[in-house]
Amino acid sequence: MAEERKVRRSGLTMPVVTPRFVNAAWTRGCDYINLDLEDSVPQHLKGYARGLIKEAIDNVSKGGAEAFTRINHDLIQADLEGIIWPGLSKVNYPKAEHGWEIEKLDRIITRLERERGIRPGTVEIGANIETSVGVANSYEIASASPRVKEFGGATGYDMSRDLGVEMFVGFDQFVYGKGEVELAARALGLEVRAAPFTANVTGSVSDPDRAFEEAEAARKCGFRIGGGLHPNVVAPQVKGLTPTDEEVEDARWVLERARELEASPDTWREVERNGKTWVIDRYEAARAVELLEWAALCAERDRSKEDAVARTQEQEVAQESPESRRGS
Amino acid sequence: MNDKVRRSWLLVPASRDERIASAAASNADVVVLDLAELVAEKDKPSARDSFQGAIEPVKAGGVEIFAQVDPELMYADLRACVWPELAGVVVCRLEAAEQVREADRLLGELEEERGLVPGTLEIVASVENAQGNRAAYEIATCSPRVTALTLGRAELVMDLRPEPSGEIHLYQYLMQRLVTVANAAGVTPLGAWWRAPDRGLLATPERTGEAAVRGRAIGFKGSMCLLDNQAEPLNRGFSPTEREETEARRLVEAWKEHFVGGVARNDTMNLTGVEGFGQRLVGPESVQQSRNLLDLAARCAAKEEEKAAAVEQRPVPSP
Repeated sequence: MAEERKVRRSGLTMPVVTPRFVNAAWTRGCDYINLDLEDSVPQHLKGYARGLIKEAIDNVSKGGAEAFTRINHDLIQADLEGIIWPGLSKVNYPKAEHGWEIEKLDRIITRLERERGIRPGTVEIGANIETSVGVANSYEIASASPRVKEFGGATGYDMSRDLGVEMFVGFDQFVYGKGEVELAARALGLEVRAAPFTANVTGSVSDPDRAFEEAEAARKCGFRIGGGLHPNVVAPQVKGLTPTDEEVEDARWVLERARELEASPDTWREVERNGKTWVIDRYEAARAVELLEWAALCAERDRSKEDAVARTQEQEVAQESPESRRGS
Repeated sequence: MNDKVRRSWLLVPASRDERIASAAASNADVVVLDLAELVAEKDKPSARDSFQGAIEPVKAGGVEIFAQVDPELMYADLRACVWPELAGVVVCRLEAAEQVREADRLLGELEEERGLVPGTLEIVASVENAQGNRAAYEIATCSPRVTALTLGRAELVMDLRPEPSGEIHLYQYLMQRLVTVANAAGVTPLGAWWRAPDRGLLATPERTGEAAVRGRAIGFKGSMCLLDNQAEPLNRGFSPTEREETEARRLVEAWKEHFVGGVARNDTMNLTGVEGFGQRLVGPESVQQSRNLLDLAARCAAKEEEKAAAVEQRPVPSP
């Protein structure tokens, strides 16, 4: 049976050492939470941070979000020992540069899954391409383990640093690297982690309007994965990456027209609707099928998150009540 | 790379007589009788059976004739389309060099069986998915029959959609990759720089012309299209403009004067102050580029004459 596509429209990356972020994570409405051990954790706290992950996994997933952890590029062994616990969906590996790094991660994760009673193959590897060497070896990296299920990158702060260029400019400075990485992802049949180019010269990571615009452009381009750093962008990303009712209706209409087309000698035709000319062919039909499946998955995901939040709220009320009675 | 003028490649479903008849009058340089992409699955067997007849209305038009075949149905498609009038085949949705070698072998057998000159049938390799694009260099170099490389309808096959800028996602990367690979392999890069709402080789005549001009600017030499009225804009867009011709002619003339007794006065020629050239230093390479442009312009003009002459000679169709 094919694995069900994951719904990961929004996610917050946060330092696991900051309790006010971690404790509020389940209330944010994210599809996933990425617990960071890397850039946002100071060097002297790395060991302490690792020890917080096991509990944080349960904590941040109380609202139905998946829990991920971003480890340190140079601390693979120690970090993995500290974080592979039941409930973890994915390990993000920064600055991936070689296939053998991913193979090494896979070996350690495979052992830890067995030791800790986790179903084999549960934990995904996110191979983040953030350097030129990573771009050059992207196909080798993406194909190094079946745990790599989505792939993309070659943008962002680290890539800018690697290339020695300014990150927030009005044009796309990563065309080649992004193309290489995306071509590898597509050739391997992986979920593409990419986005259309939109100029960001402000460097803002918390502007909800901007986040919505970007998410909507991504959705219209066929991309399904989001994520960010600030709680402000969660709701706009969820909304922006979820098909609208109008799109769902359009997709159903396209499929009806595609069925009519099949009965004709044509492989494509143009049809007028709502003052617009629509091309109907098997490619549009495939897009419509994908959109309807995606819309159903999003709705299912939203329901399961609502249920999880309601359950957690009930439990917290139940736990608090006796104490508040004693206090009165 | 050959010097045939092939600016417009009009794709026509081989199953549709009326489309074939009108394609013959479109002034396309190449008509591609399609068995793969535009023919409904259920009509493919009959389209193969009637393929030789489909060539008839087109061959009198002074155009070259290609067939587009499906790599998964290669044996049946090639047996159906290899006839003396055929210049070659476009193999769409190619993923690996092995498929090209298979086409090469089958074409060789058919050339022998049907009394055609061995090795003359060409292959245009259409790489439309990610595997095909990754393997493009090997695909382009694995058989001497491969004379051109194209993205075909990659944006549909790969589901690449418009970005807010109007550019098709990933397309600039794919186009530049393809042009570079084609030149490295010594084959002709075919394609145009389409922008939304252009879709799957389909665009208005005006937008087709613009896509051709942009495409030519990044190295494409001609493009496929779907409608009769796209052929002329492609012919124009992929031909040198009058202004380019004039400039090239003046440059070549100036270069002649740069020589004294057969010896150049300098390695480079300073055109500063010469009207229309701004501040330019030119050397032998840029002069050669200008000669190439004049040569292309002459070949384009000859192609137009050839097609016009063929139309005049064509028998008047019976009512």
